[in-house]
Amino acid sequence: MAEKLGSEATAHRVVSTFCHGCGSLKPRCGILCHVEDGRFTRVEGNPEACNNWGYGCTSLCAKGQTGPQYLYSSGRLLYPMKRTGEKGEGKFQRITWDEAISTIADKLKEYKAKYGPESLGILSPEFWPVLNTLGRRFLNVYGSPNYLHSAICATPRMAATRVTIGFNSMGPDDWLKTKLIVNWGANCENSGVNSGQPNTMLDALENGARLIDIRPMLDPLGARADLWLPVRPGTDCALALAFLHIIINEQMYDKEFVNNWCYGFDKLAEHVQQYTPEWASKVTGITVERIREAARMIGTIKPCFIKMGNGVGDQTNDGTATISAICLISAITGNLDVPGGFYAGPPSPYPPMVRLKPISTLPEMAPPDMVDKLVAPESPIWYQKTGSWESGPTSAYYKAFMSVLTGKPYPLRAIGAMCTNPLSATRNPRRVAEALRKLEFFFVMDIFHAPHVDYADIVLPACTSYEQSCQIGINNAREGTWIGIYNKIAEPMGESRSDWEFYLDLAVKMGYGKYFWDGDIEACLKEQLEPTGITLEELRNSPRGIFIRRPEPVPEPVFEYRKYDKLFRNLPHGKVQCYNEFIGGKVTCDGMGTLPYLPVYKGPPEGIAETPDLAKEYPLILSDVHAHRLSHHSYMHNVPYLRELQPYPWVKINPATARKYGIKDGDWVKVESPHGWCKFKAEYFEGVSPEVLMTKRGWWQACEELNLPGYSVFDGGSEVNNLYNTDETLFDGFHSQMAKQTLVKISRIEEE
Amino acid sequence: MKEHYGFFFESERCIKCWSCEIACKQWHGIRAQSVKLRRVVEIVSGKFPDVKRQFFSISCRHCSKAPCIAACPVKAISQRDDGIVVVDREKCIGCRACLDSCPFGAPQFDEDGTMQICDMCLDRLENGQGPICVDSCPTKALHWGTLNKLSEIAARRAVQKAALATQRR
Repeated sequence: MAEKLGSEATAHRVVSTFCHGCGSLKPRCGILCHVEDGRFTRVEGNPEACNNWGYGCTSLCAKGQTGPQYLYSSGRLLYPMKRTGEKGEGKFQRITWDEAISTIADKLKEYKAKYGPESLGILSPEFWPVLNTLGRRFLNVYGSPNYLHSAICATPRMAATRVTIGFNSMGPDDWLKTKLIVNWGANCENSGVNSGQPNTMLDALENGARLIDIRPMLDPLGARADLWLPVRPGTDCALALAFLHIIINEQMYDKEFVNNWCYGFDKLAEHVQQYTPEWASKVTGITVERIREAARMIGTIKPCFIKMGNGVGDQTNDGTATISAICLISAITGNLDVPGGFYAGPPSPYPPMVRLKPISTLPEMAPPDMVDKLVAPESPIWYQKTGSWESGPTSAYYKAFMSVLTGKPYPLRAIGAMCTNPLSATRNPRRVAEALRKLEFFFVMDIFHAPHVDYADIVLPACTSYEQSCQIGINNAREGTWIGIYNKIAEPMGESRSDWEFYLDLAVKMGYGKYFWDGDIEACLKEQLEPTGITLEELRNSPRGIFIRRPEPVPEPVFEYRKYDKLFRNLPHGKVQCYNEFIGGKVTCDGMGTLPYLPVYKGPPEGIAETPDLAKEYPLILSDVHAHRLSHHSYMHNVPYLRELQPYPWVKINPATARKYGIKDGDWVKVESPHGWCKFKAEYFEGVSPEVLMTKRGWWQACEELNLPGYSVFDGGSEVNNLYNTDETLFDGFHSQMAKQTLVKISRIEEE
Repeated sequence: MKEHYGFFFESERCIKCWSCEIACKQWHGIRAQSVKLRRVVEIVSGKFPDVKRQFFSISCRHCSKAPCIAACPVKAISQRDDGIVVVDREKCIGCRACLDSCPFGAPQFDEDGTMQICDMCLDRLENGQGPICVDSCPTKALHWGTLNKLSEIAARRAVQKAALATQRR
């Protein structure tokens, strides 16, 4: 029965905090939490918090709506523990926080003396404020460069863009000025539902912008497209090169821009002659007519904004060439830094009314030669020395695990995993588990008992965002700036604690207290608030956070366009790198090869056009969506409202293909690649090519309330990362991107 | 007589994010695998690669002449003077005649057998807010208001679409 919860008579308070939907401790959407008789019962968007389209907006995404269920969901880690059984066995004994922190501190001190500080690596979950502030600060003071960054992230895409055209764009200056949007491997209807992007793109379409959608599946925004190009997963580079071929040969490029601002255009023009639309059609599976039609739209409809997403730059092993080629399309068509184009400027033309004092990562504390000691440089060391990083040097997540197995160039001895599950966050869980078995010391802090927890020597229970008050965030909009703090909605469950407090306690135990506010989180928060003139008490006591209204009349934003002198000044010759002398001829990230001057098609390690012999045995292409709007990476499958909408691991299959293999809608199927096998439930879908299967990763979590199981991350389970090629010599030479495409065969299986 | 309230949904702006469906459940404390007072559905048509996807967010439409009211043999369903159709579950005998009469399949039933429908979040309306599903929609696909206000939005959209079609011809 649908119960009406609470009434005015019961104890009812409304508390302002940030949503947990995009992951732990990421202050994005401000929410109002209704707490009735001490229990978090309902949630709504905070209209003051400038979420999504700005002041007054109360929208939230599906995950955001599940705040109360998430807080009370099953599978939480509640106490610090130490391992008593074999690694992977899952036998633990409860210990005190003091014992846990002391054990970690003693190990880290021992390893620093014995093996050097670089023997410690900290795994990075997706852009996570705790790690790129306090975590990096801890690494710098300790002396390790090994921030193990996933390479499945915006940074490879941003780096490839930077070395090609000198700058990154957050979007057009104004989407309503854009006449053509090319949505290429971008997935905002899954990864940023309430971020403003889907709403803004829909506004642009309503305003008359055309849309080309380039993704293997017909996603909801793709369903609005004028032209959908269902590219075979992993072959986007071929498509981009064919677009360059057509745009150049049909003289659709901006000659004035090319003459004034492009270096090596003639070499590029000659290079792309081999990439004909006929060739690209065979590689990408898209007809020549559709390729030409798209290229002509891009060549003639101006301004055009090409939105590049994770799918195209970060999850193919030629991501750098792909992104370079796409950036060159924007450049030679004259769409760089023009109204409605690939604009260089802040995401909002309205400056924030207040700013926080950033938490310094204390780079001056780090050993000067630290970058040279990276265990597995994510991008080449020479490039990392240009200071082009997120918060400091990075090693590639997967490759760093492999150092434990190979001892090359040296083995990591201790790895910390906070808020990240390496058996789903990177490829090949089997190899990662082997590394975890061999690793000397593995410490984990997590909210849930994810599969990697079973390999930990020390396990620390993290509380959710709703159970701590250790972080401040700011949202900015036309109407003004909102500043909010995480407030406690409930006391932490069991002995769970905030990740912020963990770092402070560990630092104090290591003897680093003077660099970490002597372990006092309140002092850390007060320091951040200094420039605002707002006190911590005021902020915590404000019922909806603090909104600082921009004085009226708000001046019309002023945009500066065509800032080419400034934008290209760090590129060789001060020009766009059609022939790339920034990276060309220089050493690759693994130090084993040389980077090319021109974008070259490499393609996925296994593909219908790339490995035709293998395709005889494994005739279908498989890839996955990586991000999905009903889960947060591999987490949140335990939340009933989300799990009821996707109860079982799914694979989307074209009905024609399914019938060919005798598979009915809803049948369990075995999906087998040359590297492993998984089981999924077949879901008929016309919006996927008959030669392609699309799935989603991360199904380890059970949902107790709905009596639905979790599935293994290894063979026979449902973790798609088990199926991909992880030959490191095939990874992208510039930024370590790994393929997310393979060939598979499929058969129906009996399953309860 | 008061002006009637209603919903207006724009399929072109829906991205099937399910926020409205879950918002309704959490706000009203409805557990998972139970009634859906609002639900998101999809129609896929065509063959690859010429495929069309249409999304719909469906709840009780609070019809001006609600067939469920006439269909109910025990007069458990009534319409307030602001147009909101409400059910008195004490009176309901669970015969499901309302469900048979509703073109949208809105009436919902769980174990206790009595009918439930969307009440437009009466508790929120009393606070000067809109229904939680509308206030939660991340893409402004779902609207709520008086029928006059909604007709204005619909007319504006129709003009916009016609202008766009002309421009592209």
